Amino acid sequence: MAGGRKSKPAGPAPPSRTLVLDNGASTIKAGFVTDTATDAPRVVPNCIARDRHRKTFVGSELEKCKDFGEIAFRRPVEKGFIVNWEAQKEIWDREFFDDKAPQRCDPSETRLVLAEQSNSLPALQLHCDQMVFEEFGFASYCRGNGPAFNAYNDVQAIFQTPRTPDTTIDIPAEVMLLIDSGYSHTTVTPIVQGRPLHPAIRRLDVGGKLMTNYLTRLLSVRHFDMRNDPYIVNEMKETACYISLDFKGDLEKTWKGTRGQRSQDYLTGAGIAKDYVLPDSHTRFHGVIRDYEPGVSAKARKGAVSTEDILTLRNERFVVPELLFNPSDIGIRQPGLGDLVMQSLSVLPVGLWPGLLANIVVVGGNSLFENFIQRLQTEILERVPDSCIVRVARPEDPVTSTWLGAASFAKHQHVEKLAVTKQEYEENGAGWIVRKFSAGLGVES
Amino acid sequence: MNNFGVVELASAKTTHAPGWAYVPDTRPAPGSAALPSNRKRAARNHAGLSLSDASARQDAKIRKDLEVLDRDTHKDANIAIPPRTGGSRAQNKHTTNVRKILQSQKTFANHLDDYQALVALAETNPAAAAALNPANAQPKPAPPPTARNSPAPQPTPSTTTSKRSAAAAKRAAAAAAKEEKERKEREAREAEEAAEAAAAAEAERKSTAAPDDNNNNSSDNNCPPTAPPDVEMADASSLLPQAYPADGTILAAYAKPPPAPHAGDADPLLVSHVPAFPTDDELHALMTAPPLSYLEARARWGDDEQRYPARAFCEVCGHWGKVRCVKCGARACALDCLEAHREECVTRYGL
Repeated sequence: MAGGRKSKPAGPAPPSRTLVLDNGASTIKAGFVTDTATDAPRVVPNCIARDRHRKTFVGSELEKCKDFGEIAFRRPVEKGFIVNWEAQKEIWDREFFDDKAPQRCDPSETRLVLAEQSNSLPALQLHCDQMVFEEFGFASYCRGNGPAFNAYNDVQAIFQTPRTPDTTIDIPAEVMLLIDSGYSHTTVTPIVQGRPLHPAIRRLDVGGKLMTNYLTRLLSVRHFDMRNDPYIVNEMKETACYISLDFKGDLEKTWKGTRGQRSQDYLTGAGIAKDYVLPDSHTRFHGVIRDYEPGVSAKARKGAVSTEDILTLRNERFVVPELLFNPSDIGIRQPGLGDLVMQSLSVLPVGLWPGLLANIVVVGGNSLFENFIQRLQTEILERVPDSCIVRVARPEDPVTSTWLGAASFAKHQHVEKLAVTKQEYEENGAGWIVRKFSAGLGVES
Repeated sequence: MNNFGVVELASAKTTHAPGWAYVPDTRPAPGSAALPSNRKRAARNHAGLSLSDASARQDAKIRKDLEVLDRDTHKDANIAIPPRTGGSRAQNKHTTNVRKILQSQKTFANHLDDYQALVALAETNPAAAAALNPANAQPKPAPPPTARNSPAPQPTPSTTTSKRSAAAAKRAAAAAAKEEKERKEREAREAEEAAEAAAAAEAERKSTAAPDDNNNNSSDNNCPPTAPPDVEMADASSLLPQAYPADGTILAAYAKPPPAPHAGDADPLLVSHVPAFPTDDELHALMTAPPLSYLEARARWGDDEQRYPARAFCEVCGHWGKVRCVKCGARACALDCLEAHREECVTRYGL
């Protein structure tokens, strides 16, 4: 199929400008790549939001929104895949194609490199291809596995591997294990030479959304009903939550003690309890985290002079991200992240294990939780043979890492192998493209 | 029934109604493997599988809670797309495909059900499935076995052997290779010396044979007799550390100079054992394998994989759930929280 087309004289030269999109469920990472330059990616909220005054914000207009109380979101991406094209088209139009769009481009002269999640449904892939060519009309298009794009980054730099100046940088990286923990889910992807090893990709259905919802539930049971304020809770999760390195100990410290005899740690806060000042929508639009002061929240509750709404966060701070490592805590019948890695490895030849374990890269917004790397390393070390070296690292900006990898891919020769022109789409049809992209790069030999 | 005189005409028009789809009823629903699947009599159905000893009522509660946690918004806000202010790209002409996609109100769950139905149809009736949706007819009607408790699609000897036996095999192979190398050396030397005096050759052979015997002994010591080498000896030459990985084209061999030798390198206790590297064929098969389907990629527990019981937490304060409400089975940490829970429990279930 692909070979037949290659033999013919190539059509017009590939477009010089490439729009690289990492279309996540929470944010779009977008930027242009030309042969000479790579723009810094712009992070755009991938949602249509409506605030309490029934004003609607699309995509990056959300910056203009001040008051996030009772805001509601509509998200075109579900479980990591673009499902609702009506909303997605609107957001893309306003960001990329309108006259006044912040990142305006002419699709007919642009190549699109789109990162998608692993294990998509064929119908959704088909929809995506049809929209790209029939509605937007990109000149050339490449839909690739998002996690695998990370291999095109300089992976050894993330690990700060000592190197001599004459060391060649492998692009794509030879062997790496990528853990992508995003808004919808967490995936483990072993990658060899930029090709994902599909039989070993595993997914855990715990992502940022589930954790935010869980925190919302805990707060609603213990403090106020926060169910209408997903944005505020999400902000709280991002600033206040951390991953515990000693779960049992931390849980013990946050216990209030038996009746009549409050435990000392509970009264002092034991370094874990924090006061979170909620935004009041007049003077403060973002929450503020403070050290716990015994008595402050109690006074506030009594309706004294204080005008602040204060939540004291105790075990909520570490119980929520703990779901990544122990999803069974809330009854999800899936293994935690450490076992997820082992399940992924178990289908691979043992000879690959040392390479994969020594090159574990974590990307995605959840990896920003404090202690994530250390905890993951401990969990994996507990499970692998003693003689294995385990290195876990996080790139400088885990949110845009996939985008940067995709941008590097867009400059790499591999993109020419995978990209499909509009003409090819019209000749061969959408089914051919779905098959071509799911076959991936293949192996030359 | 006379149907009140209404005659139903067969029409060619099909409606694609969102929100539902025909799904074949396959008993252990794979879609809900992570959730307790059966609302009714869940405790009985999941006697051995249930994570906890939760009653059916609690299972139902967990299931409902997880569904809520999985939702995007608390309330089903139906946010319409706002009218464009500077509507420049006001082209209202869409192709049929695009119009269909834009008007589709299907959610991911609908698409997933559709896909399952298609796969099931492809198993029973491939022709019909292909006719139904040619573009979707992926060349994988029979999905590969879930990799959870089966070896890789292309099982390798090294995946099935334990680490220890693989290491032993490696040692044996290295020893064998060493032996072979020495035998070759000896043969070469023999040929050389045959030209010289026979007596001298005889003496020379004895002197080379002696260290050779020593080597044999030491290699026997290295290789525990209980662990039979289960890698074929033919692979031995490819396992030499110099050519590691075995001249692969996919992953190139280590080309940099080796680290400085150390006195303890030969010490059998300090030798690091590296498992056999996969061959090019294995790597090729892994790298070109088709993607798994959405449900196959979901991680799940095997039948015997969960070694630890699920932890239980107090439903009020989040500490360990040490005691259980007699009425509904909810967990609480101590009397304080149990009483707080009772108030809620009474309002929900009565005294």
